Amino acid sequence: MMKKNTKNSIVGMAFFGPALVLLTIFLFLPMILTVIYSFTDYFALNPDNTHFVGFENFVNIFGDELFTTAFLNTVKFVVIIVPLQCLGALGLALLIHKVAYCKKYFKVAFFVPVVMSLAVVSTLWIQIYSPEGIINSILTAFGIEAQPFIYSAKQALPSIAIMSVWQGVGYQMIIFLGGLQAINPALYEAAEMDHASAWKKFKDITLPELKPLCVFVFITVTIGAFRMIVQPMVMTGGGPSSSTYTLVYDIYETGTVNWEIGLASAMAVVFVIFVVILTIVQNLLTKDKGEKK
Amino acid sequence: MKQIKYIAVGAIACVCFLTGCSKTPSPGEIAGYDNGEQYLSIWVHSIEDTPEGQAYRTSVESFNQKFDGVYFADIEFIPRNDNGGGYSDKVNASVLSNSLPDVLTVDGPNIAAYAANGIIQPLAELTEEERGIYLDSILEQGTYNNTLYALGAMESSVGLYYNKAILREAGIEIPPADDPWTFSEFLDILERLKPIMAEKNGYPIDMTFPVGESSIYYFAPFIWSNGGDLISEDGLTADGYFNSAQNVEVMNYFKSIVDNQYMSEAPISNLFESGRAAFKFDGAWEVNTIYTSYPDIELGVAPYIVSDNWDGGKYTPTGSWAFAASSEARDIQGATELVKWMSGVESGLELYEQTKSLPSTYAAYDQISIFTEDENYKALYEQLRDYGHPRPKTPVYPQVSTLFQQTLENVALSGMDAEQELNKSTERINAKLERYVRE
Repeated sequence: MMKKNTKNSIVGMAFFGPALVLLTIFLFLPMILTVIYSFTDYFALNPDNTHFVGFENFVNIFGDELFTTAFLNTVKFVVIIVPLQCLGALGLALLIHKVAYCKKYFKVAFFVPVVMSLAVVSTLWIQIYSPEGIINSILTAFGIEAQPFIYSAKQALPSIAIMSVWQGVGYQMIIFLGGLQAINPALYEAAEMDHASAWKKFKDITLPELKPLCVFVFITVTIGAFRMIVQPMVMTGGGPSSSTYTLVYDIYETGTVNWEIGLASAMAVVFVIFVVILTIVQNLLTKDKGEKK
Repeated sequence: MKQIKYIAVGAIACVCFLTGCSKTPSPGEIAGYDNGEQYLSIWVHSIEDTPEGQAYRTSVESFNQKFDGVYFADIEFIPRNDNGGGYSDKVNASVLSNSLPDVLTVDGPNIAAYAANGIIQPLAELTEEERGIYLDSILEQGTYNNTLYALGAMESSVGLYYNKAILREAGIEIPPADDPWTFSEFLDILERLKPIMAEKNGYPIDMTFPVGESSIYYFAPFIWSNGGDLISEDGLTADGYFNSAQNVEVMNYFKSIVDNQYMSEAPISNLFESGRAAFKFDGAWEVNTIYTSYPDIELGVAPYIVSDNWDGGKYTPTGSWAFAASSEARDIQGATELVKWMSGVESGLELYEQTKSLPSTYAAYDQISIFTEDENYKALYEQLRDYGHPRPKTPVYPQVSTLFQQTLENVALSGMDAEQELNKSTERINAKLERYVRE
């Protein structure tokens, strides 16, 4: 007779094994290879002629103007999108929570863009932002000059950010809405007995109760924003004048279009390290605040 | 370094195991592959259920019929997305795992990179007669370091299209093909058209500098006709070429078109097609688009404009996908036969039938009546035949193409300094070329 423990682990492995094999091949191995490649001059068209180059790729990356531009663009995008999307989601959730009629309608209406593919949404917004598109038609009707939006180096990034907020905000809204519905109504009733103002109720009940969700939304939106590639790829191709060229786009172009796998791997490693550090910092910051309260 | 390769090959082997990739089959395994026949595998960058895919399928079938008992070609369709991924990823992975087919398709501008990195090998010697059937531009495109590597089944061209009604209204005559408008003459014409087009709520020319391959494809001719180039003859240095004084002039020329508002800074869709632009640069496919979808537009093809210093040399856009023998093809004679067949007259006719793409052989043009009867198709063909110039031949072509577009956009649209931008791009291209200069 097999020991129960052994039998259990065999059964466990039978369930877990296939997933582990697939994860190893398609996730862990590529991750390890990426780290190894980042120290080589691996060129996709000539893999036999690959050498270890130490930290050369990393030195090159930090001296590369385009990488710096891509990095700054990504940071700019994150800085625009994170507050907009987090506050927007919270605002929408609060509104819907208060609305008495057509609650379902609003929920669906705000959530629909999330279900749509980003590529589709981007294509749609190319039309909306076009010189003779709906936004410019409205602007012209109000006597405001037509704007170039995604066709100008100054406006392209904010335009894409606004579109991205519109596309993504519904998802975070649903999360917040769930959080709002989970708050014990007794808390509000008690506050009302003390004649607390609406703002006080929001500040002292709603926000603290939603705090864990806020942290979650904050971090996921930030990481999601850092990964941006689809919107510029579809809408602007990284232009005009590299103003919407993002980090992930740079990694993609370097690796698949220019065939420089080694360099692209180094970029990916730098990107991951940066996002991990940022996430840790965010975690620490949000934790500290909570403890002080 | 070897270990890394083994790990990667192992990974690919695992993937192949999971997805069921296979190597050379034996006779009888595939319908039509008989004993005594040489097996030739061929990859094309297309989906089978498209007109293009059907044309390739037909050509391979006729090859198998013609060479029954000698060769058997087995075609595999590998889809390619707009950004060039898919197909090229598959090629890259196969380079690593030594599983390239005998024959594969290569985009014209990539031939140099594939040849320089030993992915494709020179074709077996062609007789003068065999070479003679192809347009000069096709032979030129397929040649790297004076060796013929690839032959295309289709060519392409870009036309300077004009709206006949608008030019008639403005009283502008089209010059003959051997005496095109020069840059300065063209600026005068655009100036004359400006008030007329303003009335139509449009612009003299429908033009953009799009990201991707179009920009270098459409606008590098301005550089060539001005006596400039983008890269040295051997494709190994950009210094003195990409940043030459001639190229500074061309970049500033584009800027003057934008600054004078002869074109819209932001692209407006269907400007030319809706009759709100007098001119447009676009691929040869535009003729078919106008004929079928915008019959109200009176379409004409004007000779591609040239620099004021043009010496009569070749300068107009060309280039398309071509067939080449991979470095892993053991029977280069057989592979060359297949390349010749796939790029030959019959295949070119089939591709024209299915996709309306321009053929690559003189005989095919002679057999398609539209190239003698329709003035626009005729003009495009003659421009291609007499003035076709291949895109830069260099192993770092992707960077040259990207940087050309970026420089153009930075100078013309964002108003940056042309010389400075060209110098910056030159530095970048040279940095990428180090790998080839070092070896």
